[in-house]
Parts: sequence; C-alpha cells; structure tokens
Amino acid sequence: MALIEARSLGKSFGAHRAVENLSFTVHPGSVTGFLGPNGSGKSTTMRLMLGLDRGQGVTTFDGKTFAQLDHPMRHVGALLEAKPFHPTRKARNHLRMLAAPNGIDDRRVDEVIEMVGLSGVARGKPGKFSLGMGQRLGIAAALLGDPHTLILDEPSNGLDPQGISWLRNLLKYLASQGRSVFVSSHLLQEMGLLADELVVIGRGRMLANGPVADFVSHGGLATVAVTSPDLAVLGPALEAIGATLTPDDGTVVVRGATAEQIGDAAHTAGARIHQLTTRQATLEEAFLEATGLSEEFRGTQTGERQ
Amino acid sequence: MIDALRYEYVRLRTLRSTYWLIGIAMIFQLVMSVTIAAVVANSSSDIAGDEVFDVLATIGASAGFAPLFIGFIIGLLGVFSTGHEYRHGMIRATLTAIPSRPHVFGAKVLSTAIVSAVASLLCILIALLCLLVFGLELPSLKGFVDMTAGTTIFTVLFSLSGLAYGALTRNQTAAVALLLLVPTVIEAIIRAIVIAIKGFSDDPQEQGGFVQILKFLPYDAGGKLYTRASIDDLLSFLGYTPFGAVGGGIVMGVFVTALLAGAYALFLRRDA
Repeated sequence: MALIEARSLGKSFGAHRAVENLSFTVHPGSVTGFLGPNGSGKSTTMRLMLGLDRGQGVTTFDGKTFAQLDHPMRHVGALLEAKPFHPTRKARNHLRMLAAPNGIDDRRVDEVIEMVGLSGVARGKPGKFSLGMGQRLGIAAALLGDPHTLILDEPSNGLDPQGISWLRNLLKYLASQGRSVFVSSHLLQEMGLLADELVVIGRGRMLANGPVADFVSHGGLATVAVTSPDLAVLGPALEAIGATLTPDDGTVVVRGATAEQIGDAAHTAGARIHQLTTRQATLEEAFLEATGLSEEFRGTQTGERQ
Repeated sequence: MIDALRYEYVRLRTLRSTYWLIGIAMIFQLVMSVTIAAVVANSSSDIAGDEVFDVLATIGASAGFAPLFIGFIIGLLGVFSTGHEYRHGMIRATLTAIPSRPHVFGAKVLSTAIVSAVASLLCILIALLCLLVFGLELPSLKGFVDMTAGTTIFTVLFSLSGLAYGALTRNQTAAVALLLLVPTVIEAIIRAIVIAIKGFSDDPQEQGGFVQILKFLPYDAGGKLYTRASIDDLLSFLGYTPFGAVGGGIVMGVFVTALLAGAYALFLRRDA
C-alpha cells in the first residue's frame, strides 16, 4: 500500500509557468480525482510525478521516487496518453515488451488483456483500434504489474458508457483493496461517483484539496427552497442573517443560510413555512465556481459576441 | 541494464520492420553476391582472392563508387530504435517501464550495435558461401579480417549515427533524411565546394591547406574501412591525401561518438 506524496512540484515552459508549487497527498484505499480546466497543468503534473518531465519538486511512493523503484510497473501503473503504442506491434506483444523489464510473465499479460476485454483482439494491430480500445490497452499496461498505485490521465476518454461504468467499478474495487488511485478526468459527473478525494488546480496552482463532500459544500453553493405564506415577514428576517432571496415560481430560493437557520429565523419572526427543501450543489457547480477565474482557454457564448 | 536490454530484445523481435529491413538486406546481398560470383566464375579475368571477396562482401562498394548497401539498410534500424519512441509516443511508456534513462539509452546503443554487427557478418558469410559454391579462390586471412572488420565497424557506426539522429531530432522522418542525406549529398556538396575553391586558387596542386578538410568528412573517411580504391584517389593532384582505414575509422568513430554524446546529454535533460 503506497502513500503518494507530491511536494512543491513546479514546471515552466519558457516564460509560461505551467505548474506552481503543487503539494498534495494521495492516501491508500482511496480514489483521488485530479480536476482542472484545459491547460491547467494536470498532465504535466502527472508526468512530473513520474520523472518524465524535468521540473522542480519531488514525488515519493512510500518514500521512494519513481526512478528509485525496482521493477517500477510492479509498484506504480500509469496511463498518460491515448494510444501510446506502435501501430503494427500486436497488442499482446506491446504488453509483453513492457512486462519484460519488470519481471512480469506472459500469464499476467493474458490476464490483464482479459480483464480489460481485449482478448478477441489481443493479436490484432493496435493501429486499427478505436480510441476506446486503445484506452483499454493503456489501462491493461497500467495494471500489468498488479501495482499498489495507479496514476491515470483521462482514462475514460473514448470509452463508451458501459466502458466508463466498468472502469468506475474497477477503480473503486482496486481502491477498496487498499491501493492508491490518482485519476484525472473531465467527466465531472463521473468523478462525483468515483472519487473520494479531490485535487483541484487552475493555471498550475492548487485551488482545493480534500474530500469531495467538503469541496462541494465549501463553495457555499447549496440553496434552500422555501414556500411560505408569510414571505413579507420572513424575507427581512432572512436578509438580516445575511441570506439572499430569489423568487422562483411561488417559492423563494435562499442562498447563504442553512435549512436550520431559516427554520429558526421563521420561528423567531412568527412566519409560517409550508415547505423547506435543501438542494446540494453538484460537483460541476462547485468545480466551475472554484475554477471560474482559472481557465487557460475560454470560449465565448454565441450571445457574448458582438 | 539487463532489464533495459530485455525490453530492447522484445522490442526488436516484435517489430515487423526489424524483419523486413534485415530480410531486404540479406536478399539483396544474396542475389547480388550470386550474380557477381557467377559472372566472375565465367569470366577469363585474372582477378581473384581478396579482390573478388571484397567486391562480393560489399556488393561493389569496395571500388569506392557506391555506398555500402548493408550500412544504409541496417542504419534505418538505428533510426527506428529512437525514432519510433517519438513518432508513436512510446517514449513515456518506455520510461515508465524503465525509469533509468542511462539504461534505456545504453540498451538502445548496445542492441543497435549488435544487430548491425550480426547483419554485417551475415553479409560476409554470404560472400564466403558464394566463393565456395562457385569454386572461386578464398581471400587471404589478412584480406578476410580487414574486410570483415571494416564493413562491420562501418555498419555499426553508421547505424549508431542513425540512432543519434533520431534521439537528437526526436523526429523519425528528419532522422532518416539526415542519415541518407549527410553521407550522400551534404558531404558531396562540401567536397565540390572545397575542390572548386582549391581549383581556382593560385596553386591548385599545392600540398596541404584547407583541402585537408576533406579528410575529415566523417562518412567519407569511414568509407576507407571497406574501400580498396576511392574517388578521393583521383583528387591527389589537388594536394589531398585521404586517411587510410584506421585513420578514416577513427574520424568516423569520433564523429559518431560526438553525436551519441550530444544525443545522450539531451536525452537525460529533455522532457520525455
């Protein structure tokens, strides 16, 4: 079981600072999601962790850097990009090649091929694989050494809904065995189902780090829908405790106050309440809120164009 | 290092280009050796022994008018050794399987050198078999050793220069272009320019001077390892005396070592 500790990771491309002093920990037995807008430095960070990019800082896996690991694929499995293989080398041979220097036998190669559902094309040329099939081959390579740590960059890219569900269950299962899983994805809904903890970055800097529930609730994006015949009394009482009210089809949506605070304020003000419904923010809302000012590349809405 | 060599062994064995490049080289060598041996066996010429062996082993390159075919074909394996890593985005997968960059680079150099040497020795074997089959005179021991060592060293150095071009440019197409153009076009252009300048000088036949640059054209100098006559011999009137096999081999060896050193230093420093 490996504790991943990334300390003070940094990387520049010319004058552009891609990653700035990133430090975080990935705990065994958990899936840690790695989120950030396009160009925020997620892939660069993962490459820095494995010593593939030259930069600042150090990442250790149970106290050892990746380069210090003996037979590294037995400790850390990585998927860093789509289709990292020679197009005419058969899929099984691609895995055998990676297995050879890590002391992994052909039986394990066949096991992981079956695990990712590529048995039927194991002797096929990956140049003809779809993006999803290529991704499965990359996942097979990451699982090859039965590692205690997985570092996966956008593993669900190109997978169909069944594939995404399969991957989610697989990663949750691997984490339940005590392994450390560090995974980036743009599919926020999927990440909400998969991750226990989050590392959120923007423009290479840390924006948030901790349990998913804390990240979602920390943004103060939860709202409470209130239905009351005494809004004329309740409204000023809620505004007095710092809440904001937005009328919405016969109810008011209250931000900045919990259901308990609203109930107490109504009781004090003598207002009747017919309905009180708390609506938690989604991970997507929390993510957009957290990264709103940290987008490297921002498109425009049709209406924004002059 | 053993782990990295295992990786290279499986890499080479599971790649079709390994087989078709060596196959093309061997088939060409066999067909041309048989053809030349048959012609010599049926001719009334008095050439024999070392000369015939030299021509068979190098498919005529020993006469100095053609490049060593095996070198150019097997040299592509050297380019592919590093070029495939970048062309197909394999370098990151390779370095996650073997994080030691010195070991990865060292294994590539070693495996390329071994494959090139074996391919070159097979060409020598084919030449010898042709001599035997057609009842031609075998070479002297010195002639055999000189040509075997010469073609093998040249082929190995040539392939390693291809490997270095691949690592330096991180672009397989550019590396292939360099491997093919530097020996055949770039060196020829430099030679033509130097000869032209010397030819228009006050004393074109003066010994020495800047025409000596021609001695240091690396692939041309390396060619002395297997050529027994050369177009350079015709240039002696310009005061230019090329190196022999040892001197030429050293020039090419230094050049390839410098290329490899540069490629190695950048490989250690650059992002994968």
